[in-house]
Amino acid sequence: MSVNRRFVLKGMALGSATGLVLGGPAQALAGVATGPAGKAMVPAALVLVNGGAAEPDFLGGAKAALGPQLQVQRVGSNLDFVLDFERQLRSGQPMRVIGLLDDASAALVVDMARSAGARVQWLGQHTAEAGLTRHRLLNTDIAEGCSRKLSRQLHACGAGFSLSEERQNSAALPRQLAAISRTGSQSGQWASSVGYLLASLGTRQFMASPRVPAASAPFTGSFVSFSIEA
Amino acid sequence: MSEPKNAVLPKGVVQEEFNKAVEKFRTLLGEDNVLLKADQLVPYNKIMMPVENAAHAPSAALTATTVEQVQGVVKICNEHRIPIWTISTGRNFGYGSAAPVARGQVILDLKKMNKIINIDPVMCTALVEPGVTYGQLYDYIQEHNLPLMLSFSAPSAIAGPVGNTMDRGVGYTPYGEHFMMQCGMEVVMANGDVYRTGMGGVEGSNTWQIFKWGYGPTLDGMFTQANYGITTKMGFWLMPKPPVFKPFEVIFENEEDIVEIVDLLRPLRMSGTIPNSVVIANVLWEAGSAHLTRAQYITEPGHTPDPILKKMQQDTGMGAWNLYAALYGTQEQVDVNWKIVSDVFKKHGKGRIVTQEEAGDTQPFKYRAELMSGVPNLQEFGLYNWRGGGGSMWFAPVSEARGSECKKQATLAKRILHKHGLDYVAEFIVAPRDMHHVIDVLYDRTNDEETKRADACFNELLDEFEKEGYAVYRVNTRFQERVAQSYGPVKRDVEHAIKRALDPNNILAPGRSGIDLDTYNKAL
Repeated sequence: MSVNRRFVLKGMALGSATGLVLGGPAQALAGVATGPAGKAMVPAALVLVNGGAAEPDFLGGAKAALGPQLQVQRVGSNLDFVLDFERQLRSGQPMRVIGLLDDASAALVVDMARSAGARVQWLGQHTAEAGLTRHRLLNTDIAEGCSRKLSRQLHACGAGFSLSEERQNSAALPRQLAAISRTGSQSGQWASSVGYLLASLGTRQFMASPRVPAASAPFTGSFVSFSIEA
Repeated sequence: MSEPKNAVLPKGVVQEEFNKAVEKFRTLLGEDNVLLKADQLVPYNKIMMPVENAAHAPSAALTATTVEQVQGVVKICNEHRIPIWTISTGRNFGYGSAAPVARGQVILDLKKMNKIINIDPVMCTALVEPGVTYGQLYDYIQEHNLPLMLSFSAPSAIAGPVGNTMDRGVGYTPYGEHFMMQCGMEVVMANGDVYRTGMGGVEGSNTWQIFKWGYGPTLDGMFTQANYGITTKMGFWLMPKPPVFKPFEVIFENEEDIVEIVDLLRPLRMSGTIPNSVVIANVLWEAGSAHLTRAQYITEPGHTPDPILKKMQQDTGMGAWNLYAALYGTQEQVDVNWKIVSDVFKKHGKGRIVTQEEAGDTQPFKYRAELMSGVPNLQEFGLYNWRGGGGSMWFAPVSEARGSECKKQATLAKRILHKHGLDYVAEFIVAPRDMHHVIDVLYDRTNDEETKRADACFNELLDEFEKEGYAVYRVNTRFQERVAQSYGPVKRDVEHAIKRALDPNNILAPGRSGIDLDTYNKAL
């Protein structure tokens, strides 16, 4: 089975489970500009997730930016996927991939990006604990404004957080942003915001990412976000 | 058009000089093989060490495809005093990843030099370039139906034999001591010469991958964990695939059992009854490898308390220590050795023997059996999810294969890790006389306070082990200078004398294993 076909089938399986509308892989992999009516044109992207607690919020944010062309693949750290992914990145076809994965899977995905000669604009390490979230970002100039946007959104919803941002190829010290929780708990807003920001990277037209419902149950865990282009 | 400016430059190199070198690199390698943009360098800068990424940020990355290009790179580096950090596949995760030892060094990535030059199924030898992965070799062996077996470290398919051997890594088969199985290297020296070790200098020789020693001084070891040259080809021996392979596990319930396990095992290893690099993994290594997470058992910060570990054992059937070994050979050989081995453990009475038939496809048995039979998998990456947060450093002291010594090291390591609120996630890899005591120091890099604790913990591990006469055999790039100090000043003087002779401009990976003419001279 070809990688493309595998992407489609896995995407379809997840899409039907989540109610997401899927586009064809060629469109997503080619990075065709698309987007919801009335919003900035956002290049299509393949979204990698693997069922973590943050997945629904992350996908919600990504969908808000990408619209109905969202293409999702649920992945793991198994060898077949990893090698297929690298082959796909090497194929020479333009490809834009964003995602939010567990540490193990993300370590492999990002390393495959390196060996395939792909470019990585954003690498985020996120920890969600009771009452606060922590974010350590390594990114490039294309992500200018993202950390401020993320921190504003977290602050607006009363979430406690700390954020450290390093810019690759920069002499500047890491940017540190933080706020204490006003609500006593955290929510999945950060995942939604990160999904939205990653899906919007490069457009410089960040609208507000969707607010997650106030009643959504907070979750804990460790996650890695990324944006890759081949 | 104004000259490009880089915020990250090699130490001591001014922008103008860097730009000149970059232009020459572009002419030599082509535009696409000179990576300077931030988004090209981010994936080279994903580290797991307790420092800012900036401390290990490269100024550029180069990809070469031929020996002549590597020679050309070295020439340019000499002309402009550009330090280069060479990687093959760059998958040395717990020992520093692909990032250079010092900020600003230019990475020379040899991933595109990925030719399997020769595999001889009769003599059971291989000759490969640095970018060849174990996955490539595995596919080649499968496609050609060769009766050969690979030995590799846990990242298996995505790592490669040259990088692993040059860092003196180990695998889990009878050929698991990889440097011992290496036979013949081709090395580009800092002056551009191409040096072949062993029989490789003899014109027309067909014994380069057959006989290690050649004539006169044997220098292969000098190029491992070192910065005296760039290895562009390496030969190594492959194990003939045995007709019968019998993996097994012995599960021990109590932490104290490590003394008896090792003392029972040593004679079996020394006699060759058990021929492979045996692993004795503790419960947390098992749990991580089986893709359990700490959060499933406890959400309190700090180390995981012993009662929780006991509960995990009860829930999963894992032992406090879990021994994995295998027998190889004809059915008759395996039957005889299995009787000897199983009798030893039955007589001892504490361990529960699990065979492949009993284990089926359960993890972690399955991936261990695969690693011991040369079948690649990525199962052990699950360790990174145990605590989460992206921090991982492998602390790997060498121990005698003596039970009391292993117990002493395990107790000392656990005490220090717990003092710093971290878990003792460990395995012993058992050779006949030594043990590689590998501890994965896992921590959360998003947590500044925990990151500082992890750093302090690693320093204390090095200090306290050194007081007992122990040292690590390998370490991540943050601690290479510190570990070099453990091995004494005379060794360092000799290493730097060699460096001065072979690489007077200090262009090859300065800082590798603490060998750096700039900083060492200043310390004198």
